[in-house]
Amino acid sequence: MRARLLNRADVLKIVDLLRAQGHEVLAPFCGRGRDTFFDTVTDANRDEIQIHLPNPYYPPKRYVLPHIERLLKVQRANGDWKIEPTFDEPKRAIFGLRSCDVAGIWHLDRFYLGRDFRDTYYDRRRKNLFLVNVVCTDPERDISDECFCLCADTGPAARDHFDLQLMDLRDGEFMAVAGTSAGEAMFAEPIFKKATAAHVEKRRAILDEVRKRFKNTTSWFPATVRYVSQGKILDKTWEEIGNRCLECGGCTYVCPACTCFTVSDRQVGPNEIERVRIWDACALQGFTRMAGGHNPRKAVHDRRNRRFFRKLAHYFIQRELSVACMGCGRCAAVCHGDVGMPSVVEMIRRATAETEKTNDQ
Amino acid sequence: MPSATDNIYLPKPAVLDRVVDEIHEVKTFYWHFEDAEEQRKFRNFRPGQFAQVSLFGTGEFPASLPPSPTEAETFFTIRTVGSCTAALHALKPGEKFAVRGPYGNGFPMEDYFGKNLVFVAGGIGLIPLRSCIIYALAHRQNFKSIQIFLGARTPRDLMYRDNLRDWEQSAGVECHLTVDRAAEGWTGNVGVVGSLFKKPGVQVPIDNTVAFVCGPPIMFRFVIKDLLAMGFPERSIVSTLERYMKCGVGKCGHCCIGVAYVCVDGPVFTYEQIKKLGEDI
Repeated sequence: MRARLLNRADVLKIVDLLRAQGHEVLAPFCGRGRDTFFDTVTDANRDEIQIHLPNPYYPPKRYVLPHIERLLKVQRANGDWKIEPTFDEPKRAIFGLRSCDVAGIWHLDRFYLGRDFRDTYYDRRRKNLFLVNVVCTDPERDISDECFCLCADTGPAARDHFDLQLMDLRDGEFMAVAGTSAGEAMFAEPIFKKATAAHVEKRRAILDEVRKRFKNTTSWFPATVRYVSQGKILDKTWEEIGNRCLECGGCTYVCPACTCFTVSDRQVGPNEIERVRIWDACALQGFTRMAGGHNPRKAVHDRRNRRFFRKLAHYFIQRELSVACMGCGRCAAVCHGDVGMPSVVEMIRRATAETEKTNDQ
Repeated sequence: MPSATDNIYLPKPAVLDRVVDEIHEVKTFYWHFEDAEEQRKFRNFRPGQFAQVSLFGTGEFPASLPPSPTEAETFFTIRTVGSCTAALHALKPGEKFAVRGPYGNGFPMEDYFGKNLVFVAGGIGLIPLRSCIIYALAHRQNFKSIQIFLGARTPRDLMYRDNLRDWEQSAGVECHLTVDRAAEGWTGNVGVVGSLFKKPGVQVPIDNTVAFVCGPPIMFRFVIKDLLAMGFPERSIVSTLERYMKCGVGKCGHCCIGVAYVCVDGPVFTYEQIKKLGEDI
């Protein structure tokens, strides 16, 4: 069995071990108020790392896909272009990653590394990344009203794709599960003790209880995926969703599974430019605009729909092996118009089910 | 196909050899890769594929490949519409830029062996179809009849004049031209490209035929209507779609139409597929 036990007091020693191995460790911290964030662990802030806290809105996606990433450095000399790819591949570990975000990174892995073309920049960054997942077990602090990982089938406990998973068994004990050989290698440290069948049973019992604490469990993903894939959604439903979108792009910014980017050249010296890629959002107006000004996707509901269509259409699910929504609930929390994923799924389900009923009569 | 270690975003230096004026705001740029090995690899492209062209400091844009792989030279035919194309137009022979590719599925020309080919192009829609036409003529014995229907706004908007002359005079191909507005000295047809199908003496085969359609959206809609009315099955009509692309390799998301990434699933689609994309083209 790849499970071990450790004391509450020893949990942050994992961070120390990772730092000693040369990792830059990113961990969640609390600001003043609701705001929580991932930051680099230093000797000064190490003791302030939070195990239980609301998942930061700003997703840890940026550690595999920075908002602005330099792809090339290009220098001009005597009419020639010297083109040099630049890679940033720090040895990093994310500690305290929630299960939804573990699923998010796994989704990005399949997207950027799968199919015919492999993204070199993502690959290099990802290879050096060690993931320590913490299972959400505290209904007051870990789980918010917006969370719906149960519906997205990504949590509260990730089943795979982490290096190490930690779960609070309460009573001062944590269970550690290794997901990779790198994670299992950590078990050589004396802080890890053998777990018994009783501990495994306790883990199961806590998860059963935690599952009941989710408020948002009626997301109706499968029905919505079917409606979207079969083109059954009425134009007026899409328009209703679009009308509530303010085009701020916030949903894509906080989404752990959004992948779109734009590429831009910028001058950094008299004879030097750099080519960078920058996060982009299909909900924004300029996203599909072509040279000359023609924009095939004009209406706001076209753009708004695009994001949900992309995430929910069966075709893309087949291609990427999962719905491109991890159930983290961030879009629901940041959306001014209440058209985050849970609301949209509910709007689609209600409108389409009613239409189907009327048609049947 | 690139290997796993290839950097898919890395363009390779290219040299501009010469520039030829085609029509108003459209020029053909002959170029080659600085590295002979790159040039050799690149020349295995298929008709209908495209490349990403880099003008450093301005950006990168996708461009159709008008040459056929059976031709010796590599070139782009580009209209100035935005900042990148303007930067290319400002380039002088001998100056450097960069290219990566070829990308996209291209036209499956081998699948069309033994068939009649009908090419219908409007305006600069001829750019991607030129590759197929030259390819088909180079493999003339593999195809049955070959017909070309070309439309342009005015006689001055007809591009690839040397090729047009060859096609008009060649025995192995039927070439029909039309313009929306005639000018002095124009003795040819006046009208939309679809009007050519009804010209006396024109017989468009339907069975065992592939129709290539490429042109501005309005022309595309009307030609499709004409072809369907003539009895063409939707799967026998092929086209190449265009979108702005930032990566060309299925990652950036800009070129998505419905369920398809134009860059990797296309840009070549049959009309049957285009109808099912689930979004306006």
